[in-house]
Amino acid sequence: MKRYNFRPSFPADLRIYMLLAKDAQKACENYLAPTQQLQAGSTSAQTGGSRLIGAHMPTSGGLYRSLTLGAEIGCNVVQLFTCSPRQWNHPELKADDVQAFLHARDDTGIDFTVAHDSYLINLAAPSEEILEKSRRAFLMELKRANTLQIKWLVTHMGAHLDQGEDEALARLAQSLRQILEETDKLGYTVGIALETTAGQGTGLGWRFEQLGRILRDVGDHPRLGVCLDTCHVFVAGYDLRSRERYDASIAHFDSTVGIDKLKVLHLNDAKKGLGSRVDRHEHIGFGEIGMEPFGFIVTDPRLMHVPAIVETPDSDTMHEVNVRRLRHMSEGGGPYAEVTVSLFGHYSELSKGEPVTLKLPCCTTLKDALVELGALNDELKNIGDHCRFAVNDEFCELTAQLVDGCAVAVIPPVSGG
Amino acid sequence: MAFIIICSDVLDTRQIESSVSTHANGAVCTFVGQIRNHSRGKDVEYIEYQAHVALAEKELNRLAVEAETRWPVTVAISHRLGRVNVGEASVVVSVGSPHRSEAFAACQYCIDTLKVTVPIWKREVGPDGAIWIEGDESVRAGTD
Ligand SMILES: [Zn+2]
Ligand SMILES: [Zn+2]
Repeated sequence: MKRYNFRPSFPADLRIYMLLAKDAQKACENYLAPTQQLQAGSTSAQTGGSRLIGAHMPTSGGLYRSLTLGAEIGCNVVQLFTCSPRQWNHPELKADDVQAFLHARDDTGIDFTVAHDSYLINLAAPSEEILEKSRRAFLMELKRANTLQIKWLVTHMGAHLDQGEDEALARLAQSLRQILEETDKLGYTVGIALETTAGQGTGLGWRFEQLGRILRDVGDHPRLGVCLDTCHVFVAGYDLRSRERYDASIAHFDSTVGIDKLKVLHLNDAKKGLGSRVDRHEHIGFGEIGMEPFGFIVTDPRLMHVPAIVETPDSDTMHEVNVRRLRHMSEGGGPYAEVTVSLFGHYSELSKGEPVTLKLPCCTTLKDALVELGALNDELKNIGDHCRFAVNDEFCELTAQLVDGCAVAVIPPVSGG
Repeated sequence: MAFIIICSDVLDTRQIESSVSTHANGAVCTFVGQIRNHSRGKDVEYIEYQAHVALAEKELNRLAVEAETRWPVTVAISHRLGRVNVGEASVVVSVGSPHRSEAFAACQYCIDTLKVTVPIWKREVGPDGAIWIEGDESVRAGTD
């Protein structure tokens, strides 16, 4: 992000006044000329056949809603909870709900679905009672996912709760062996993807070596794989922020876990720093990881077949933006949008009448740009409350998408005449 | 067909009127906004006008076409930018129409709408310094 020093002086810069249609006819022609279209809002149309990119979608109103909503915002893969993730006991799936889900899958064409299990499940629990409860609950998770023809069930590796990491990993391996064996007999197709974790508390799975050990202990199984979460691995200490460090981290993953075991990607930026072991997801490009590493991942030929899912905040408004951002990069688009902002009225003095250049993550909304603008100068905070805005000489809403090279204008209340 | 001009030259009221004064029009109503020597209890020496030119042209054209749709009129609007001294015109709205009542109505509509929608701003300069006017607010300007 470029920072500009504003000086509160006023050279009446005529460049902002510009010139000046002498010819009224010309002004009319300008007005009638087809106006430059901002980037179209629809993203769901041209996703067929391209890299799998999607989001963890809400299921309120029915499980099938995750698919229909996902399709609306441009997902071609969707992750969901098949039940409330903070509760132990769940009723069986209703046949109607299953039918609606499979119908929505066929309607939307979103064939690849991923489930995330309950947060309560600890397949490494030291307490015999909790361990049993977890195994039973996890079997139910698998059953629901299998019924819904979901491809992978993502689970965390549990926590050792200070009762010994070694023993906990052994219990986890035992849980997985038992569960895979049991569900093999039932002919299940859904796989189990162990997620890399942030290393908060006594959680397991934040070192790649722990994942590698579990895979070795359980033994090679086609229904056992790994989910790599970029936020988690970054805060766990694996850097991704340059091509070299990204390659080194992936090489380390390959040597300890095996890249062929990678079945699901969770693409989240991180609010907290490298090695902080604090799990707070941030919008793509707005956190400590930044834009480039996500570009490395979605264009990495080794990972092309691995579905990428965002689990970022503000799902109702921001999932669409984050998905679009990733898809843009996966199709070769640059990670940034450079945008010029012209300030008018008394604000023009802040930038001496010159436009300000902002380097923003690609596929950013005007609303995000205003946050960055506010960070440049206190006077520019909250301008969204009383100013109007234009992009490429058209008035627009705060939800407008900004593309590389576009021109934003900040329009305070006017006083012509 | 509306006539819109945004420029930094002195406005020629006669010329703007002539663009709407066809033989079919029995009335030409012209409003001239000019710089007065005081504002908000302070002396004014001159006003500097600033615009988002492309957008202002569009907005002026939009409101002129709106007036021409509502009334049987032809509209010409000129707005001046940059420094405008006391006594000089900053805006001229000229409306031609077969009859006077529509000309008056359309002229008033155009100048009233212009003042609240068109992205043009004034910076009033007087002996006490300069202030920006933004809607109903005035904001103290930095010094030259
Ligand atoms: Zn995750
Ligand atoms: Zn997380």
